[in-house]
Amino acid sequence: MTSETMFYQPQGNEISLFEHAYNNQLPMMIKGPTGCGKTRFINYMAQRLQRPVYTVSCHDDLTAADLVGRHLIGADGTYWSDGPLTRAVREGAICYLDEVVEARKDTTVVLHPLTDDRRILPLERTNELLQAPAEFMLVVSYNPGYQNLLKGMKPSTRQRFVGVSFDFPAPEVEVQIVMGETGIDEAMAKRLVNLAQALRSLKDHDLEEAASTRLLIYAARLLLSGFQANAAIRAAVIEPLSDDDETIAALMDVVNVTFA
Amino acid sequence: MEEQVGEIWHKWITRRASNNYPQAGVTLASVHKRLMILFRALGGDLGLPLEAASITSYESRRSWLQRLAGSGLSASLAWKDERGIRLPPQIDVFPERQFNEDLYTWLTLMLLGDRQHQEPWLQSNQRLTQAILQQFPNLRSLYQGLVTAHLKQRYAPHSLPAAEREQELVIRQALLHPGSQTRLPQAEFLPQAVLLWLHPFPPVSQQESRLQDAKAEPGGQQQNVETERRAAERVENPESKDRGLLTIRMENIFSWGAFSNLDRSTDEDDDLKGAEDTIQDLDKLSISQGGKQAAGRLKFDLDLPAASEDDVRLHEGILLPEWDFKKQQLLPDVCRVIPMLSADAEPMSLPAELRTSAKRIRDLFQQIAPQRYWHRHQPDGCELDVDACVRYASDKRAGLSPAADGLYRDLRIGQRDLACLLLADLSLSTDTWVNNQARVIDVIKDSLFLFAETLHATGDRFAMYGFSSRRRDPIRCHQLKRFEDNYNDRVRGYINAIKPGYYTRMGAAIRYGTKLLSKQANNHKLLLIISDGKPNDLDQYEGRFGIEDTRMAIREARQAGLHPFCVTIDRKGNDYLPYLFGSNGYLVIHQPTELPKKLPLLYAQLTQN
Repeated sequence: MTSETMFYQPQGNEISLFEHAYNNQLPMMIKGPTGCGKTRFINYMAQRLQRPVYTVSCHDDLTAADLVGRHLIGADGTYWSDGPLTRAVREGAICYLDEVVEARKDTTVVLHPLTDDRRILPLERTNELLQAPAEFMLVVSYNPGYQNLLKGMKPSTRQRFVGVSFDFPAPEVEVQIVMGETGIDEAMAKRLVNLAQALRSLKDHDLEEAASTRLLIYAARLLLSGFQANAAIRAAVIEPLSDDDETIAALMDVVNVTFA
Repeated sequence: MEEQVGEIWHKWITRRASNNYPQAGVTLASVHKRLMILFRALGGDLGLPLEAASITSYESRRSWLQRLAGSGLSASLAWKDERGIRLPPQIDVFPERQFNEDLYTWLTLMLLGDRQHQEPWLQSNQRLTQAILQQFPNLRSLYQGLVTAHLKQRYAPHSLPAAEREQELVIRQALLHPGSQTRLPQAEFLPQAVLLWLHPFPPVSQQESRLQDAKAEPGGQQQNVETERRAAERVENPESKDRGLLTIRMENIFSWGAFSNLDRSTDEDDDLKGAEDTIQDLDKLSISQGGKQAAGRLKFDLDLPAASEDDVRLHEGILLPEWDFKKQQLLPDVCRVIPMLSADAEPMSLPAELRTSAKRIRDLFQQIAPQRYWHRHQPDGCELDVDACVRYASDKRAGLSPAADGLYRDLRIGQRDLACLLLADLSLSTDTWVNNQARVIDVIKDSLFLFAETLHATGDRFAMYGFSSRRRDPIRCHQLKRFEDNYNDRVRGYINAIKPGYYTRMGAAIRYGTKLLSKQANNHKLLLIISDGKPNDLDQYEGRFGIEDTRMAIREARQAGLHPFCVTIDRKGNDYLPYLFGSNGYLVIHQPTELPKKLPLLYAQLTQN
């Protein structure tokens, strides 16, 4: 992490909410679509609170042992190795579980004793009972728009968190973000954001996912480095949204009308 | 011979008279998806479908060639109404293909705006044009290109008689400088169709436009019958619930004084004398605005079977609400859903022709059936695999250098806490044939059999119902299998007894399914709907009303924590299902006969761990 302050443009009261949750040792849950700034927010808050972050990208093969730790076999026999969650508890860091719904549900059950007032992490294998220090904070995030019948957070897990919903920022804010992130001029940032607004209204109808702020930033970077405008939009914004040729052609029509 | 010559002459002269360029033509079908996405992306109403406009009569001045050929009496223009947006089925007015495509784009943009109430045609089109050019400055060159090309095709002003010349000049100015013209001079003919503008008098809401015409032009053909004041009342158009055969007791109609539900709004009779006479005979005038859309008029009603012939009604039914999108409110307790059991169902085993497929599917699904067991030799896991570790350690002691992978074992849990309720559309349209052997209903029957076999194999809890409706009461819901029933010969008998019913009031059926499924204690609840077409019914449920009500019912199901999913064999499903179920919430099966085999696979995909 660099020493200079990370760029973060707040959407609402999330910074103060995070600080209050941190001060009161409450775990936090962040919901929001892909590329709307969830991970950036955590990293920014970690920097602000001067805590290290352990990020775990969850997937369906993630086991409880991956979080807590396991015995490994080395040259001199077996030894215990802490997982990211255990390490965060020991060091009083922020443990961030990204896309937590991707993890199997039995995995996330290890979080339960950490997320109520006990704030403990029992390690059966090493016969330890870790008490989390005040600086430890657990944060999870997921994308609620993701539809799979069996994926979704267990209600009993969900009810252990303070929640905040992220969405794509309001157009004025998003313009600031694109400018702040890339240094592109305001007029161009506005055009990009207008395009994104148009494309977002197609979500669920023609597109599975809305165009994210992240894609706009990619596009702005390509534009800044001198790539031809329409081609940059196509590469950074349109192609990632769809695989269907006809849809891509249609989205390019939208680009031609609103952007070019 | 005469006929042949006539035909050749007709073809030749029509071609000579037409100003079209078929070789550069663009069809709506080829650009449909692109225009739809453009329309929605720029803020168009998500619920409106795009349809081909019908050719409407449009009488403007014709060239002598056109008069000779008898063509040029109609025009294909764009408009928007409550039921959708309409664009010409084909555009081939320009010799360059690009211009024809651009014209489609332009008209789509024109349809984004709304014509304000009673705003004259000239003003509204100028206003829309200005709005587009202001919002999307990139389109200026496209617009200018189209205007230049279109002006070349219009009659030269000097070739027209005075009144029409003035009209033409105004239109030309309005095209070149939108917003500059305020008044369209009157002339004998309608001005030559302006391709870049919307239809001056869209044909759909005829009743409405007639009303407006009547207001706009007092005098004209309106006859002044109101010389004497009459007791007049405005009545709500009574919903003629019992218009079926002999349900009106004719002897009750004693005189003209009684209200007779007579639709005069679309009366083609030019002679108003007859109507006037009738009015003179009436003591009291009852007037209401007909609420029916034109499409509803060609429908005929289906009689319900006599009670003795019908299936068993399980109870008197439950009342459910319905969403009225015009009022934006939920009308409480207007739909009655009646659960029924087929009367003539005989218990039976699985039909012989399905046994092989059923076995294959069962085998497949038993593999993914929920079980919980230790996977050994895993590179990762929650326990050490002692056997593997011992082997590893001993190999090492023995001076070998074994690979240290696969030393763990892991307990994988495949438990599925799932309940699925299947709703099958058993409307009359399932009576159509899909090929020489099978009707839609047969395909649905086979699908239900194989689906039941599948779920039986996985051990997931499931229920099955079939529905069809006849207006709001009754919505018949055939109970094939409840959650608590075992899947057995009796259930197969009920599946075998399904037959085409009436109409598709999908919203009410979904609400009923939601009610049943919400009572289940499972964590995951799948509401699966098999359909063969849009929601529709005899009343206003046809069209937008049904779509909006179904959409609301689906939203309610989601709020109740269910996962609605629709499988359809309607090829046009892509037009309306995204609006109802979202782009991930449905599947269109193009070949109906594939449905029985695809349904179990879809289920596997939806519920995979």
